[in-house]
Amino acid sequence: MSRADVPAASLYHRVVVWLLFLILLLPLAGTLLYSLATSWSATILPDGLTFKWYLELWGEPRFLKAFGQSLLVCFGALALSVALILPLLFVVHYHFPKLDAVMNVLILLPFAVPPVVSAVGLLQLYGSGPLAMVGTPWILIGCYFTIALPFMYRAITNNLQAINLRDLMDAAHLLGASTWKAAFVVVLPNLRKGLMVSLFLSFSFLFGEFVFANLLVGTRYETLQVYLNNMKNSSGHFNSALVISYFFFVLVFTWAANRLNRDKA
Amino acid sequence: MSFLSIQNLHKSYGGTAIFSDINAEIEQGEFVTLLGPSGCGKSTLLRCIAGLTEVNGGKILLGGEDLVPLSPQKRGIGMVFQSYALFPNMTAAQNVAFGLRMQKVGKEESAARVQEALAMVELGDFAGRYPHQLSGGQCQRVALARSLVTRPRLLLLDEPLSALDARIRKHLREQIRSIQQELGLTTIFVTHDQEEALVMSDRIFLMNAGRIVQSGDAETLYTAPVDAFAAGFIGNYNLLDAPTASRLLGRPVNGQVAIRPEAIVLGQGPISAIIRSHSLLGNIIRYRVDAGGVELLVDVLNRSADDLHANGHPISLDIAANAVREVA
Amino acid sequence: MSAIHKPRGKWLALLCLLPFALFFFAFQVAPLIWVALNSLNTPDGWGLGNFEKAFASKFYMQAVKFSLQIAFWSSVFGMLIAIIGSYSLRQVDSKLRDFVIAFSNMTSNFAGVPLAFAFIILLGFNGALTLLLIQAGLIDSFNLYSKNGLIVLYTYFQIPLGVLLLYPAFDALRQDWRESAALLGAGTWAFWRHIGLPVLTPALLGTFVILLANALGAYATVYYLTTGNFNVLPIRIAAMISGDISLDPNMASALAMILVGLMAAITLVHQLLLRRSYHVPR
Repeated sequence: MSRADVPAASLYHRVVVWLLFLILLLPLAGTLLYSLATSWSATILPDGLTFKWYLELWGEPRFLKAFGQSLLVCFGALALSVALILPLLFVVHYHFPKLDAVMNVLILLPFAVPPVVSAVGLLQLYGSGPLAMVGTPWILIGCYFTIALPFMYRAITNNLQAINLRDLMDAAHLLGASTWKAAFVVVLPNLRKGLMVSLFLSFSFLFGEFVFANLLVGTRYETLQVYLNNMKNSSGHFNSALVISYFFFVLVFTWAANRLNRDKA
Repeated sequence: MSFLSIQNLHKSYGGTAIFSDINAEIEQGEFVTLLGPSGCGKSTLLRCIAGLTEVNGGKILLGGEDLVPLSPQKRGIGMVFQSYALFPNMTAAQNVAFGLRMQKVGKEESAARVQEALAMVELGDFAGRYPHQLSGGQCQRVALARSLVTRPRLLLLDEPLSALDARIRKHLREQIRSIQQELGLTTIFVTHDQEEALVMSDRIFLMNAGRIVQSGDAETLYTAPVDAFAAGFIGNYNLLDAPTASRLLGRPVNGQVAIRPEAIVLGQGPISAIIRSHSLLGNIIRYRVDAGGVELLVDVLNRSADDLHANGHPISLDIAANAVREVA
Repeated sequence: MSAIHKPRGKWLALLCLLPFALFFFAFQVAPLIWVALNSLNTPDGWGLGNFEKAFASKFYMQAVKFSLQIAFWSSVFGMLIAIIGSYSLRQVDSKLRDFVIAFSNMTSNFAGVPLAFAFIILLGFNGALTLLLIQAGLIDSFNLYSKNGLIVLYTYFQIPLGVLLLYPAFDALRQDWRESAALLGAGTWAFWRHIGLPVLTPALLGTFVILLANALGAYATVYYLTTGNFNVLPIRIAAMISGDISLDPNMASALAMILVGLMAAITLVHQLLLRRSYHVPR
């Protein structure tokens, strides 16, 4: 339809899209402004602008600790996920393709069951006794794995289907490679895109996770979101700087995922 | 005054002209084909007549009324799309009835007309089927019934057979033509397939790069192409430049010439040649011969295996004077 | 079929599945089983006592009512905005479209605690937007910490999810349907009524269900905003498993099962509606 008549998008549509953009932008913009304001209370615009809140934030050891702990937990969860999901995917798609249908139902569970509900069981099962890990980062890593699972499973499955796993493996076998070698040398490099995209997306999601972090661990291993919650009663400007820093960090990651996605297309 | 009169029509998109100053007259009941390669503007012209694409200037007079200011809803034109465009949430019968529903035709009359239209395309028993339950050919027939049931003044078909396989295409070709003749419906058919155009049309408009290069009936277009493009597009003409042609025919020639492959006689005549290769096209054998350095295609009816000339075999050719057509 | 499908190969492969199965069971399935079982664990032994108590309690039923109301309205408003937005997004040029879609996907990361905070700044009692609206005379006051305030907040984070789900659905509407409908006499309204909306209905229903589930299970936003003091199901459940007073994991399990039950019921209704409405096979 290259020669077809594409009317310049009417004014109505452009206005709607810009309005949508503005609605989505507003909370972000408000917070950004607040984080740069010297003071702002009961007036429509702030009194003045400054960077001091950011300087205060990034000099605060508790914040840096929370930031680092968030990173650790997220990266730990992602590493665990990769270690568990990659072999799973290979085995399912190569040896037991019928299991894919089962898997597709299983990965609905993290979506269908709200984290609050799981938290009830988790607190009881791992609160005490031999498997006690409530209050430690370990339980978070385990839970975050279940959160990342649907994203990673779907993205890499699509990738596997696109590269036609069977044919690749057959070709590798005919050329003399064992299954293990073929998996590592032939299949894995081709999964890079799907893997990277899902890792970035999962990271963004995990970094903003609050329910498990607050209910299962709380202040005993303070992640960034929990820290934000605990700081509720301190200066709104400080909190704004915190929120914006968090968001900016996640923004960079999502942007990287988008870039990778576009390269793939 | 013709039934459909296109006057000085032009259309550009983003600064480039798709076509400019198109003029055409089409009589009532005529089956006209817009034929041409991809990108020549034929589909755009059709869409302009339908009102789906805006024109930048000119008039389209249907029965004396200018269509250009009218919306597609009000033009009284039926159209069949390459992709069938059947509404997936409706059965075949509901699809066909849609236009009648928009015209607020009563339930009983509508049901009767729908039944009649489906019977006309031989799908009377399929009224309750959904599009996803129909084959491509069946979908296209439903689309045809849908566009005919509203009794349009003009029927447009935009490469309706291109998405179908060869056997269905042939069958549908005949069906469309016979229905059109039975109804006496003025029809414009767009295709890039010259065989389709030659078989189905009363008249053909050959288009290239936004211009109507030649218009006329099938016989005229085939035997008397007006220029090198026309000769190259319809049939498998041998196109030779003046010096080559002079050398071959042994007489002076003014410009480029086109010679039809079936007009060259093998086995007798003054020209010496060698058979280079041949292809069996069913009822025709197409030889590639080398006549003193000039490569020619020669088509011969495949009467019997004994007549087959072997590759590398020398052969003589005769080209009658009236088989040589000078083209611009 | 591959050459290497010896039985030993298959067993080895199954072994590779074991670590995954273990972790998945431990962190996803086991808690669910515990909750399901212990919802039936009452002080008087095994039975439905917890559920009876929940349904008889005005307080718990209020939590259910508020949860459903907030979920319903935020999904309705969120979807309306997402439909109008997605439709227009399809019609604008690709640069603007890609930018806004990317931005929308980005802001979905803003949900939870940061979003609640941002809304306090904008729409809290002294929020900039609140003051602006009051000065413009559009409203007298705005209580973000009320049910209506929560609906506004929830609607906000439903929008990116709605756009994400609905935007591709509009792909299903082919241009040539619009054109052939026009030639058959259908104007814009008739097209949407007879063809556009029926074809979109499965996607619309599916999106609505997902939005409902999203809102029902939301915890972080309302917790931060109201410091855990607003009566919705997730807050009630969490209050009974953490904090200092009235720890009752069994009652919490019952409420959790009610929450899951609500979501299952919604999914069921969705499937029934799908069957009765028109369904496009892919």
